[in-house]
Amino acid sequence: MSKQDLTGDEGYQRFEEFLDEWSRRDFLRGMGAATAFTLFAAGGMELLAACGGGGGGGQQPSQAKKGGHVVEATIADLQYLNPVLYGDTASSTATSMIYDSLYMSDDKGNPAALLAKDLPKISSDQLTYTISLRDAKWTDGKPVIADDVKFTYELMFDPKYDKVNSPRRGDLVDYIQSVSVKDATTVVFQLKKAYSPFTTVHLQYGILPMHVWGSLSAEQINTTDLNGRPTVTNGPFQNAVWQKDQQVTFDKNPNYYRGAPNVDRYVIKVIKSSTDILNQLKTGETDVGPVDPAQGDAARTVDLITLHRFPGLLFLFYLYNLDPAKTPLFQQKEVRQALLYALDRQSMAKAIYFGFATVANTSMPPKSWAYNPDNKPVFNFDRKKAESMLDAAGWKKGPDGIRANGAGLKLKFEMITNAGNKVRENSLVNMQQQWRDIGVDATPKFVDFNKVLVPALRNTRDFQVLMVGFQWSTDPDQSQVWASRNSRAGGYNGMSYKNTQLDTIMDQATTTSDQKKRKDLYFKMQQILAEDQPAPILFFPDNLYGVNKRVVGFNAGPFANQYDGRRIWIKDLSVSDGK
Amino acid sequence: MLWKYALRRIIVALPVLLGVTVITYGLIYLTAGDLVPGLQLNPNLRPEDIARIKANLGLDQPFLVQYLNWLGVPWLLHQVGLWPGAVRTGLLQGDFGRSLLDGSPVMSHILERLPYTLELTSLAILVGVIVAIPMGVVGALRRGSPADHFLTSLSVVGVSIPNFWLALLLVLIFSVGAFQLGLPHLPSGGAASSVNGGDVLDRLAHLVLPTTVLAFGYLAVWSRYTRSSMLESLSQDYVRTARAKGMSERRVVYVHTLRNAVIPLVTLIGLELPTLVAGGAVVEIVFSWPGLGRLALERAVGHDYTTVMGLTLFTAVLVIAGNLLADVLYAVLDPRIRYT
Repeated sequence: MSKQDLTGDEGYQRFEEFLDEWSRRDFLRGMGAATAFTLFAAGGMELLAACGGGGGGGQQPSQAKKGGHVVEATIADLQYLNPVLYGDTASSTATSMIYDSLYMSDDKGNPAALLAKDLPKISSDQLTYTISLRDAKWTDGKPVIADDVKFTYELMFDPKYDKVNSPRRGDLVDYIQSVSVKDATTVVFQLKKAYSPFTTVHLQYGILPMHVWGSLSAEQINTTDLNGRPTVTNGPFQNAVWQKDQQVTFDKNPNYYRGAPNVDRYVIKVIKSSTDILNQLKTGETDVGPVDPAQGDAARTVDLITLHRFPGLLFLFYLYNLDPAKTPLFQQKEVRQALLYALDRQSMAKAIYFGFATVANTSMPPKSWAYNPDNKPVFNFDRKKAESMLDAAGWKKGPDGIRANGAGLKLKFEMITNAGNKVRENSLVNMQQQWRDIGVDATPKFVDFNKVLVPALRNTRDFQVLMVGFQWSTDPDQSQVWASRNSRAGGYNGMSYKNTQLDTIMDQATTTSDQKKRKDLYFKMQQILAEDQPAPILFFPDNLYGVNKRVVGFNAGPFANQYDGRRIWIKDLSVSDGK
Repeated sequence: MLWKYALRRIIVALPVLLGVTVITYGLIYLTAGDLVPGLQLNPNLRPEDIARIKANLGLDQPFLVQYLNWLGVPWLLHQVGLWPGAVRTGLLQGDFGRSLLDGSPVMSHILERLPYTLELTSLAILVGVIVAIPMGVVGALRRGSPADHFLTSLSVVGVSIPNFWLALLLVLIFSVGAFQLGLPHLPSGGAASSVNGGDVLDRLAHLVLPTTVLAFGYLAVWSRYTRSSMLESLSQDYVRTARAKGMSERRVVYVHTLRNAVIPLVTLIGLELPTLVAGGAVVEIVFSWPGLGRLALERAVGHDYTTVMGLTLFTAVLVIAGNLLADVLYAVLDPRIRYT
């Protein structure tokens, strides 16, 4: 499978972090629920107003102060400062400070050129990508050339580097036929099959200097000290000094080809708990750090910081089992729709995410260029409508208050999710109550993640309703979850959802590089999915960052993930006090 | 002779260490199974990538082969021509191997964290001893007095309060609270300031809170031991004799009684040595302290076999050394104890 979807460890980790805070928060609520709620509601509005534009981090003033430093907190230490080897978010963010890639994603998920001059010239058969390089320099003064690009990609797909422990090999071997050097500043990627997300998904890995790394064997690349102390780099920052489990310090690269960064020094600091991150934000020891949703309202009251908030690529959803051999209940789309109408998701977001979640109206992440804000139908909470839809579909209330169809089949089912994940457990309990109100008997059941939930999702499909969290990739391709072919064992279409019209649309969208055409196709996809509701996406939980008010231009967005934590705005970041 | 005794103890310890490695390796193998550290739980990864990386790391081998490789047995056989092909060095060659998570040498991980842990734990033990012994002495001498009751209560509180809770409380008061009131405040975590940090004062400021939390736990226990041990010593005949001779009370207490009373405490502190590695884990996490305890915990959760093995062996050596040291100190403190 490609890197797409499915929550990486990051997704689960976020939820687990959330879980840690849960019990404490519950206690606090009991102590003074009313006061807390009032404060919270008021704060929530203020916050929304503040975030009206593209982010709460503030806009770039015309004259940014030069100098000073920024300290950012990360909850997990990194593994490698090597773009070929890492597979975790912390490494991805840190590595992107020093190694630039050909392209990166902007705040809408569009590819933007970095080391490349402009977007790749793609042949009409979509198989040849020709890329011209900009006039960029390594920190030792040598130019960044096409051979560097070829070398870096060979580490990840060429059989002679099979022993390099790169987690990207499987994917790249599938897509790349060859990478060749046309001249010093032109590199050509020959693909095995047309795949329009290729630029967004695979041309965003940092480029290594061949004149430094070229003499190393595959085994040496796995273990060289350069993985922790890179010498020659090409990104906006340089001289990375990594004190394990403490921090990585970067100095600005004054000769950066896109212009030197405003701040002199950037520190990424490892802080192991979200409570401690908030404490350090409060004392100013840390300037920027992720805030746990459970602490979001506490963070809002801190004078020193603003809260930067945006819906991410992570989402919470539940799957109906559409395989009639497993359950006959969800064959009618009216039933699937009615159940969604019966859920008051605004209240759920308040109760479960402390308000820090966006109710999903389509399957597309709200910040994506392919998101359709006017997608129809929209499933706003409407209990009456839900009841009348079920009545019309033949599911009438029996003497016990539970609905049943003409054949005497009761609308009664089990919903599973992984035990220990409070967000999901509470969501299911909440849904059980709301569905009981319309005469549907749903019972939550909490199961082991690895032993039961994942096999049910990917292989056995032994479930009626299943809830889990996933993560979309930067590219809007969602065929990993919705395509009929992925209902095979091992695939992530756990619903066994089959819609050939949708399959065609999604295949067209990944084989054309015309962005406008792709957008139209993804609008259609969102419309079909909203109509069919094979697996309703409930929320896109918000990502929260506490940002010290002296930091100007912090604009983290959703399109930075464990494969690419790149930030196009990092060089424009500044501090107002110049310290 | 003391040194002969020490040497014998060290030789006897070697098979124990080997046993520790077999058991630990076995346990890790059973719990982690065939996980590839840092990768297996990532659903973005293709099975073929996982299989390839696993083979590269040698994790596809049977248990015994993996263990012998780690020990470095094939390397020895290779030297005498009994093992074909290139092989890596192992423990027997003094090589702790490389971390499965990030490819860097395990020993470098341990050596990087060791100074931080030693700094924190030894300071905490020192503070613990310096405060605990007077507390115990006062408690014993003024048995039943309000002071004794107060110190007893303090010990009970010290034993009962979970150290992570105390840590959070201290951070709230002395770091966040003091900062918000505009008072001088202590850093809430880390071993040094991120920017322009690292001088002695900065390092000391970062040590205050974690040391206090760790020391509080130690002194609660140690002061009770000192107190009861003192009480026992004070009722001995030689104390009565010393007093009868007209010796000053100060000399009776500090020279005759205390010296005997602290002997059991030496054992306790000796046993505390291995917690240099693991004991501070919780405090290290709460204060983001870059020490060995945190490393051990995180690497165990991350299924980084080789690092966990290295740390276990390191701890085992410390346990044995700690016991030995306590025995030797016994002889120094009590001339009646002789080792042969």
